[in-house]
Amino acid sequence: MDVLSIQHLAKSFGNTSVLRDVSLSVSESSVFGFIGANGAGKTTTMKIALGLLRADGGEVSICGEHMRFGMTATNRHVGYLPDVPEFYNYLRPKEYLRLCGQIAGLDEATIKHRSSELIELVGLHGVKKKIGGFSRGMKQRLGVAQALINEPRLLICDEPTSALDPLGRKETLGLLRQISGKTTVVFSTHVLSDVERICDRIAVLAGGTIALEGTLAELKTRHQADGLQIEFASEADLERFCAGVPERILRKSERANTELTLHVRDLAAAQRASLQLLSAEDILPVRFELLEPNIEDLFLEAVA
Amino acid sequence: MKAYLAFCKKELVESWRTYRLVIMLAVFVLFGILSPATAKLLPKLLDGADMGGGVIIHMPTPTALDAWTQFFKNVGQMGMLVVVIVFCGIIATELNRGTLINVLTKGMRRSTVILAKFTVAAAIWAVSYLVCLGVTYCYTAYYWPGKALPHAALAFVAPWVFGLLLIALLILGGVCFKSLYGSLLTTGGVIVVMNLAGLIPQSAKYNPVTLSAGTLELLTKAKAPSDFIPALAICLALTAALIVASVLLFNHKQL
Repeated sequence: MDVLSIQHLAKSFGNTSVLRDVSLSVSESSVFGFIGANGAGKTTTMKIALGLLRADGGEVSICGEHMRFGMTATNRHVGYLPDVPEFYNYLRPKEYLRLCGQIAGLDEATIKHRSSELIELVGLHGVKKKIGGFSRGMKQRLGVAQALINEPRLLICDEPTSALDPLGRKETLGLLRQISGKTTVVFSTHVLSDVERICDRIAVLAGGTIALEGTLAELKTRHQADGLQIEFASEADLERFCAGVPERILRKSERANTELTLHVRDLAAAQRASLQLLSAEDILPVRFELLEPNIEDLFLEAVA
Repeated sequence: MKAYLAFCKKELVESWRTYRLVIMLAVFVLFGILSPATAKLLPKLLDGADMGGGVIIHMPTPTALDAWTQFFKNVGQMGMLVVVIVFCGIIATELNRGTLINVLTKGMRRSTVILAKFTVAAAIWAVSYLVCLGVTYCYTAYYWPGKALPHAALAFVAPWVFGLLLIALLILGGVCFKSLYGSLLTTGGVIVVMNLAGLIPQSAKYNPVTLSAGTLELLTKAKAPSDFIPALAICLALTAALIVASVLLFNHKQL
C-alpha cells in the first residue's frame, strides 16, 4: 500500500501558480527524495499533505485515509520535520518530547521509553539545558526526535540538511537512513548529493509538475548515457586514436590533456568501434568508461 | 482531552517560565495593596493642605467604600491594560514563530489550541484578580471593620467577566492577523466602539464596558443588579461567540 498518495495537486498564491498538477505516490519502507529548485513548491506540497495549507485542487491520501485541510486526523500517521523547526525555548528536550507524546495520545510509560530512546538516537543524551540555548544542529536533531515520538509510518522532512554544516548534515542523513527500516521517509531537498546518498526513489518537481520520478537506477537507465570517456597514457596515443575514430559514430568530442570524451549516436556501436580501434592501434588506455548520467544531469534535464 | 490537558499544562509552564504569571500576580497584588492604602493615606496627606489664597483642603474621613472605589478604578483601568499587554501575544506569537506546526502535525485539533489557551489565560486572570480582591478585602476589613457589602458577588464578578472578553478579543485578533499589532488593534478597536456606544445613555444597560469599573454603583446601591445583568449576559455570550469564531477561523487558517 502507498503510504502517501498525491493526485493532481494544484495550488496558487495570488496570481502565482506554484503547483499545477502534481501526482506522486510513496510506497512503504522507502526513502523518497523530493527534489526541486528553491521556490519549486516542495514545502507547499508537504504542507498541503499535512493539512496546513489548502489545495486549490487534487487529493492527498495518507495510509489510505483521505486528508482534509485543517483537520489533523491523518497526521497521527505522520511525523514532520520542518526546514527550521521551532520549539518552545523555555522547555528542556525531554519536556518537549513529553508534550509531543501526550499530544500524540501516547501513554506515560511509552512516552518515557520513547523519549529516552530518541534522545539517545539523536545524540542529545545528558543535555539538560533549555531548547533556547541549542545550536542549529541540536535543534535539527531534536526535530527528528519529536517527529518520531509517535512512531509514525511516514516521516516528512522539509530540507532537513539545507542549513547544516557538513558534520550536522552527515549526522542527520545517517539518522534518516537509520530509521528508514521502520518508517517511510519523504525528504525534500535541493542538495543532490544528499539524495544520492540515502534515497531509494526520487521525484523532481519542476514547473509545478513532477518532471521525473523513479528509482535512481531506473532514471539513469531511462536517461541512457550517450558518452564514452577514455584516458590515454600520452597525448601521442590520444592523437593516434582521434585520427582513426570513424566520423559516423560521433556527435561531438571534447579533449582535455590526455582525456577524450566522445558523445556518440549509438553507444554500443561506438564502444565496439573504439575497442577495435584501440586494439588495432595497439593503444593501452589508462581508463575506459561509459559516461553515466549523474543526478545533477537528471535534475538539470528535468528542470530545463 | 489528553491533548487539551497537555497543552494547558504547557501553557501554564510557559506562563511561569516566561514570567507572565509572575507579572500578573505582582501587578495585581500591588493593586490589591494600593487600593485601601490610597484610600487610607491620601486624605491624611491632603487634609489641611493650603492651596494658596486661603483655600484649605478638608478631606472627609475615609471609609471602606473609598477603598473599593480605588479598587474598581485600578482594576477597571490599569488592570485591564495589564491583561491586554500580558496576553496580547497569546496566539500571535505562536503563529508568527511557527511553534504550533510541530504540535498540530502530531494530530492535535486546532480547536484544542484555542480552548487550552483561553482556559489558561482565564485561569491566570482569575487567580490574579482573586488575589487582588483578597488583598484589598483583607486590608479594607482591617482598616474599616464591620459592614457587609451589598451585591458583592455580582459587583466583583463583573470585571473578571469583562477581562474574559478582552482575552477572547486578543485571541480572535491573533488568529485573524497573526501579529501582536493585529491583536491589540482588534481589542482596542472593539473597546473604542463600546465606549462610543456608551455615550448613548440607553445602551449602558447592555454595554459590556460598564462591567469593567461601573459595578461600584452596586456597592453604593446607586444601581440594582438588574441594571448590570443584561450587560453581563451579553459579555458572556460575546466571549463565547468570539471563542467559537476563533476556532472556526483557525480551522480555515493556512499555516
